[in-house]
Amino acid sequence: MLSLFIILPLLSLMVINLLPKELMKKIGTLMSLILPLAQMLVVVFIFLGILDIRPGPADHFFKFNLAIDNISLVMLFSIAIVILVTLLVERHLIPDADERFNFLNLVLITFTGMNGIVLVQDLFSLYVFLEITTVATFILISFHKKRDALEGAFKYIILSALATVGILSSIALIFLISGDTSFAVVHQALQNSRHAFLIDFALAIFLGSLFIKGGLVPFHGWLADAYSSAGRAISILLAGIVTKTLGVYTLIRLVSSVFGFDTEVKGVLMFIGALSIIIGAFAALGQHDFKRLLAYSSISQVGYIILSLGCGTPLGIAAAVFHLFNHAIFKSLLFVNSAALELQTGTRHMDKMGGLAQKMPITGVTSLLASLSTAGMPPLSGFWSKLLIVMALWFSGHFAYAIIAVLASVLTLGYMLSLQNRVFFGKLRPELENVKEASFGLLFPMIILAGIIVGVGALFPFILNSLIFPIIIK
Amino acid sequence: MEQHLLLLILLPLAGAVLILSAPQRMRFFKAAPALVITLVNMAIAIIVFKKNIIVNFPWAGFGIDLSFRLDHFSAFIIAAVACFSFLVTLYSSVFMRLKPGLKQFYAYLLINLSFTNGALLADNLIILLFFWEGLLLGLFGMIALGNKNSWQTAIKAFIIVGIADLCMLLGIAITGHLSGTLAISKINLPLASPLAIFAFIMLMIGAISKAGSMPFHTWIPDAAVDAPLPFMAFLPASLEKLLGIYFLGRISLSMFQLKAESGLSIALMVIGVTTIICAVMMALIQKNYKKLLAYHAVSQVGYMILGIGTCLPVGIVGGLFHMLNNAMYKSCLFFTGGAVEKEAGTANLEELGGLSSKMPITFFCFVIAALSISGVPPFNGFFSKELIYDAALERGAIFYFLAVLGSFFTAASFLKLGHAAYLGKLNPVHQRVKEAPLAMLIPMITIALACVLFGLFNSWPLDNLIQPVLGQRLEGISFSGFPANTKLIVITIVVLIFALLNHIFGSKIYGSGLKAADYIHYAPGLVNIYAWAEKGYFDPYRVGMKFIVVVAKVIFLFDRGIDWLSSSLFVNLSYGLTGQIRKVHTGNYAHYLSWSLLGMFLIAMFLLYKH
Repeated sequence: MLSLFIILPLLSLMVINLLPKELMKKIGTLMSLILPLAQMLVVVFIFLGILDIRPGPADHFFKFNLAIDNISLVMLFSIAIVILVTLLVERHLIPDADERFNFLNLVLITFTGMNGIVLVQDLFSLYVFLEITTVATFILISFHKKRDALEGAFKYIILSALATVGILSSIALIFLISGDTSFAVVHQALQNSRHAFLIDFALAIFLGSLFIKGGLVPFHGWLADAYSSAGRAISILLAGIVTKTLGVYTLIRLVSSVFGFDTEVKGVLMFIGALSIIIGAFAALGQHDFKRLLAYSSISQVGYIILSLGCGTPLGIAAAVFHLFNHAIFKSLLFVNSAALELQTGTRHMDKMGGLAQKMPITGVTSLLASLSTAGMPPLSGFWSKLLIVMALWFSGHFAYAIIAVLASVLTLGYMLSLQNRVFFGKLRPELENVKEASFGLLFPMIILAGIIVGVGALFPFILNSLIFPIIIK
Repeated sequence: MEQHLLLLILLPLAGAVLILSAPQRMRFFKAAPALVITLVNMAIAIIVFKKNIIVNFPWAGFGIDLSFRLDHFSAFIIAAVACFSFLVTLYSSVFMRLKPGLKQFYAYLLINLSFTNGALLADNLIILLFFWEGLLLGLFGMIALGNKNSWQTAIKAFIIVGIADLCMLLGIAITGHLSGTLAISKINLPLASPLAIFAFIMLMIGAISKAGSMPFHTWIPDAAVDAPLPFMAFLPASLEKLLGIYFLGRISLSMFQLKAESGLSIALMVIGVTTIICAVMMALIQKNYKKLLAYHAVSQVGYMILGIGTCLPVGIVGGLFHMLNNAMYKSCLFFTGGAVEKEAGTANLEELGGLSSKMPITFFCFVIAALSISGVPPFNGFFSKELIYDAALERGAIFYFLAVLGSFFTAASFLKLGHAAYLGKLNPVHQRVKEAPLAMLIPMITIALACVLFGLFNSWPLDNLIQPVLGQRLEGISFSGFPANTKLIVITIVVLIFALLNHIFGSKIYGSGLKAADYIHYAPGLVNIYAWAEKGYFDPYRVGMKFIVVVAKVIFLFDRGIDWLSSSLFVNLSYGLTGQIRKVHTGNYAHYLSWSLLGMFLIAMFLLYKH
């Protein structure tokens, strides 16, 4: 019944639009909360072995070729969490009920698309779901129809168009060579093919296109503008999970299941990863806008994931997936923090803030936890994934990259603490005297996410045994 | 009986708390409780004398028990400590009367008494260490109560003694490890392994530095000038000598099996004679009453270490007897120094002179103590020195020669001191000087009397106090009575006569008693050494401090370098790079598009080229 992951969000989209609209404006979001919650539960049940996925009646109608493994489980869980958080904060960040309803629709479409990307097992369906998610994302970014949001969305569209062309051409070439689009068949066909030139070309443009989607240097031009100009609720979704699913997860799946790792692909991945880490971190150092800083930090962190993936070892892939999960958590938390700050102070400019920890203690503490997790401070969750990444690099013999990864965490700590310092520490500025803590609706997701950061960090041995090792052994 | 042992430690401590908590205005209340408590302490010490008492409370686990043990060795030292404490308190009650910091002085005095008793009674190395290190507190406090320079001196003493105590800590740890127990009475280690030798050396450093031997002595002459005088008579002259030599005796007699053939024995003797000669040479040229005495306080330790270092029964008996004698005459000498300073207002020998007519009793006490320290028969110093000479000669003529040479200089410097302070012309400003008050005279007279009695009737202290410590080692021999080796006595007397002739010769040439030793001071070769010594080139503390300043400068520069790297170079580089990255991000989508295309192209080229 894997297709339910795709069908249910789609179905609920239909339901809330068919039912009386005035009612749905009020309770639609609340109803939709069931979906991510149910998905989290199901994932946990599958994970614990309580629930077994069998083909059911729904699979007869929708003949997708779907499969699930530990990586997809982690992705499904991350997607559900970020969607849940987005839906929880939506009511506080989008005042207008009509807009909120439209937003809900788009979120559900994105949800559908992302679940599809995670589960599909053939190239063409992958393309379809990529496009569904991307198009929904365009609209989400330009949602408020402000000038900079439109500009950000426009840049995204232009670069995404390039990516779309690239992906489609690549799929076409692969279809030409192998005669099929299913991952397994294509993988077999590519191994035995004589068309090395075409395969390399298809691989190159596929990789490049996914780098655009994932926002890796030098394909990242759209990312900072899109993240920072998008609405407050949207950037949580966008930065937390969408680009990671579109770009990074797809890359993991494609390289590990379709093209396979060879020395050159590893080299490209690791080089692009390291470049993104360094450029992203340095760019983040120079930012004054809270969300732009987080955007560049995203580039840097995605760099870590790709660098780890580039090891090509099971440990490297496991570390990449784990870091992806952690990143989804701490980056969503930071974007919720930034939304709360912008809502309470009316600005995103960090030089206009200062000393807010006394006025917004929970926001301050949770964002500090998220920052430290980003920088890889033990015992928070981010430390363990960075440790695994460095270990993966070291054991696979890439010492220089391992050292870069370690040194770059210093940079990460640098820009993250500079953010904390400018926003939360120091003297309270006089004009911020009347700032209050954000409402409970925003604090609740913050606390949950911070709890996950601390909890995963503290329970890491359990995670390692039940989540990481199965990926490695497989 | 057990409670008596605890009282020895707790009573002075309680007294210290009482004095500290007394109101500032009750001036009388400072000295009186201290006098009462030291008197009671003396009574207890006499009650428990010649008894063997063991008190044991299991305490911290890991073999760290709160255990105390009184045996003959510690009992007679405790009795001696109790007597000196009482006499010093009595002396201070007048001497310190109008000085500031009276409250702290008596409190520290009682704390020192309590901790000394604790260290003497401790039967567990950790408990010993606690009291031993605790003495640093009282030492620092008492020195710091002196004049305005005393703070520096207190720090100096604290660091030197603290370093030596650290060595002792290490030694205790290794000893505990080697023997498997921390109970002092159960430890008996052969000095076979290098580790055991190292442990012995570390413990020895702790012991001899407490006694004030070279090279851990340099704070003592400074303290003589800066600290209140009763402190000198109390700690460096008596309590610390007793405690340090007691512990040296403990480690070399019972805790370790120190043999006469071993290198450690030679090392101890070398330390002993070096201390004797170097310190007495420094004493010879001093122009300050108290400082001269302070160097002698160092020099005399050399005899005790030499005596114990010989590992011969006669030497050990001599060393321990000398420890007791030295504590007596040295505190008496400091008392006379204090009396002179109090009455004449100065301790500078150049301003003193002819005081014998004004202060006859003080002069009398000084003469007896000086004769004692110079080893003139029949005073007590003579007998203990003869025993040490006997042992030193058996171990090597050079040790004997240097010990006798030290005796020559000792006699010479006391002739000079007595001549300069008490004889000669009276300084006109001192016309109205009076004899010291009774409370200061009583301790002096008591001790001077004891010096005579311990000399004339030396069989009582030797048979009752010293020789039982060695027990079986003596094999029934007694060293009491007049020394058997008449040749040595003749040599000693000849040396003393030479010292007298030398003094007469020196004071004739230079015209004054003070300058009698100047021809030695300004002898070719020696004059430079003296100049360097006066500048502190031989002071390990000063040399160490200079070295530390250099090290600190290097570390500071290194730190600045790191600081420059991290907060200047790296930061500027990072921000430079960041600025460039920001410049490149123009916000123009065409640029971004071209980057992406270029990137894709390069990846394709790379893959195609490589495959």
